[in-house]
Amino acid sequence: MVTRKKTSKAATSKSRSVSQQTKPNKRALGRRAQNKQTIRNRIVKAALNLFQTKGFDGTTTRAIARKAGIAEGTVFNYFRTKEDIALYFFEQEVGHAVATVRDNPKLRKAPLEEKLFALVESQLEYLAPYERFIGAALLHALKPSSPLGPFSHRAMELRHRYLGFVEELIEESIPRHKQNSLGFLAPEVFWIYYLGTLLYWLYDSSEDKQNTLAFLDRSLTIGVTLLKKDKR
Amino acid sequence: MASQKNTSMRRAFSMASMGADIAGSYLGYALQRAFLGETKSRAKLKSTHTRAARRMRDEMQALRGTAMKLGQTLSLQTGVLPDEALAELATLQMRAPGMHPSLVRVQIKKSLGGEPEEIFKQFTPEPFAAASLGQVHHAVTKEGERVAVKVQYPGIRDSITNDVKLFRAVSKPAQASGHLPKGAIDELEKQFLAETDYKREADNIEFFQRELAPLSFVRVPKLLRKYSAGKVLTMSLMRGQHLDDFLAKRPSQKLRNELGTRLFDLFYFQVLSIGTLHADPHWGNYLFDTDARISLVDFGCVKTLSSATITYLHEAFLYSGSIHSADFGRLMETYYRAEGLKLLPVTRRSLIKFADNFYRHVYPSDPIEDYRFDFGNKEFLNNYLSESKNLFRTKGMLADLIFMARAEMGLYQTLHRLKAQVPTSQIVRKYLR
Repeated sequence: MVTRKKTSKAATSKSRSVSQQTKPNKRALGRRAQNKQTIRNRIVKAALNLFQTKGFDGTTTRAIARKAGIAEGTVFNYFRTKEDIALYFFEQEVGHAVATVRDNPKLRKAPLEEKLFALVESQLEYLAPYERFIGAALLHALKPSSPLGPFSHRAMELRHRYLGFVEELIEESIPRHKQNSLGFLAPEVFWIYYLGTLLYWLYDSSEDKQNTLAFLDRSLTIGVTLLKKDKR
Repeated sequence: MASQKNTSMRRAFSMASMGADIAGSYLGYALQRAFLGETKSRAKLKSTHTRAARRMRDEMQALRGTAMKLGQTLSLQTGVLPDEALAELATLQMRAPGMHPSLVRVQIKKSLGGEPEEIFKQFTPEPFAAASLGQVHHAVTKEGERVAVKVQYPGIRDSITNDVKLFRAVSKPAQASGHLPKGAIDELEKQFLAETDYKREADNIEFFQRELAPLSFVRVPKLLRKYSAGKVLTMSLMRGQHLDDFLAKRPSQKLRNELGTRLFDLFYFQVLSIGTLHADPHWGNYLFDTDARISLVDFGCVKTLSSATITYLHEAFLYSGSIHSADFGRLMETYYRAEGLKLLPVTRRSLIKFADNFYRHVYPSDPIEDYRFDFGNKEFLNNYLSESKNLFRTKGMLADLIFMARAEMGLYQTLHRLKAQVPTSQIVRKYLR
C-alpha cells in the first residue's frame, strides 16, 4: 500500500518535470542550453520524418544527420542510437498528453472516462503524423532485446510514469474503497488496453479514424463501470 | 404464448450478442452492457421482460443512434420484441444524455479545423438537445448570430451497417413469411445512412426553406455553410419549445386547436403537395411557440413518397363512394400494379378494415359544416395504435403505406397530446387535386 502511494507521488513529480520539458522556460535556460535544445529538436524532427518515409529499419544515423543539417558526430552527442531518439519522442508524447489533461481546467471536474479519453486522444493526436513509424515501433518493441521493448530500463520507466498518472486519475475520481476488488490491477489493465487501442487505431480505415473515437468512448464507459463497486 | 415471446426475445438477444463488437454495433453494445450486471441476479428475476426492456431502453438512450431508431421502427414492424419492450422503446427520443465535452471538442476540431472556442465567439460545451445521431449545442458565431450546432457521434455509419445486418438476421423468419415486406430493411438502412450525411441534411434544409415558403406559420432554420462540414452542421437558432415544455405552461384550448390545425395542415401540405416529409412527425421534431408558429428542427430523415403513392392518396382520400365497392378495389389494385406488386386479398381486407375503422372517422368524406375531429379522444387513439401495429404486420404491405401509417401515427399522437380539435377533412380537401 505504502509503496504504491510512493510510486504515484514520484510519478506526479516526474510528470511535472515532463510537462515543463515540453514548455521550456526560455529565461531560465541559458543560451547554450537553448541552442542544445534547438539542435535536439532538429534531430528528432529529421529522424521522425525519415522513420515515417524510409521506415525505422531503413533509417541510418548518417541520413538523420544529413537531414538535420549537422555532422554525424554531433548526433552522437545527443543520442547514442536511433532507438534513443524514438524513446525520446515517446517521452515527449507522454509528457504532452499528461500536460494536456493536467493543464485543462475544464477537465478538473470531468468524470474519469472523460479524463482517460482526453489522455489517450491527445496521445493519438500527437502520434498521428507518424502513423507508419508507430506501427514499426510497436513491432520493434516486441523484440525482447530492443531498447523500445518492455524489458529495457528506460521504456519501463516511461511506462511507469504513464501508468502512475493513470492511477492518479483513477484515484482522484474513484477513491480506493469505492473500487471493486480488481481495482489494484486497473493501471496494468489500462496498459494492455492502451496498446490494444493503438493497434485498433493503426488499422482503423474509417474516415478520419472515427471508429477509434467511438471505440475509445464506449470501451472507457464500460471499463469505468466495471471498476466501480457493485451497488447491489 | 408467453414462452414463445420469451424464446423470440432470447433469440434476438443471443444473435445480437454474437455479432456484438464494441465499436461496430450500438445494439450489441447495449445488449452487452444490459447483461453485464445481470448474471448474478438472473435466477431471482421473474419479470425479466420488463426489467430487461427497461435496461435496454436506458442503454439505448445512452447510445442513441441506430439502435434506438432501429429498435423503435423494426420492432414495431416485425414483432420480434414483446410488448413490454415495445412500450419502453416508445418512450425514447429527445432524452438521450450527451457525448462528453472532450469528444465534442475532437469532433469539431476534426470537422472545422479548430477548437470550438476559436471557431465560434461563444460555444456551450453542454448540449441543449439530443439529436438522433448526435447532439445540439448553443453557440454564437463570430458575426454575432445565435446558432444551433449539431455534432454527430463518431463512427455512426459503420455501426448502422452492422446493426442492420444484425436485424436482418434476426428478422429472417418474418421476411420469409412475408410479414416484413421485402426491401423494408433496405429502405430503412438507406434512410438511416442518409441521416448520417450532413451534406445531404444541409441540402434538405435549403429545400424545405424554399418549398414551405407558402406556409407562413412555419419556420425553417437558415443553414450556415461556413460553419458546417464533416460531422458538424450549424443552423440558425429556432424559437419555441418542445411539446412537453409547451404543454407545461397550460396553453388555452384555442391555442392548442390553432397549433393542431397548423400541424395537420403542414403534414398534408407536405404529403399531398410536395410529396416529401421533413421527418417522422414525432413531437420531438417540432418546436411550438405561443404565437402559434411551428419551427422545424430535424432534417435528417427526409422521406420522399413515390409518385404512385401520391396519386393513390389523392384518389383515396375523402373517397365519396363506398370503400367496399369494386371501384375502390380497382383503385388499390392500380396502385399496387404501379409499384410492380400484386394486391393480396388479405392485404386488401386489412386495408379496408383499417380505413373503415379509422380513416372514415377522422376524415369523413361529407363532413358537416365546421366539422372538427377531436384528437383528445383517448379510446380512439388506443384503438388506433393497436390496430396500426396489426396493419404493419399484415402480409404484402407496401413500404410507402407503412411509412404513411407510421407518420400518421406520430402525427395523431402529437395531436392527442395537444388535445387538439382539427377541421381535418377541410384541410385535406384544400390539397386534393
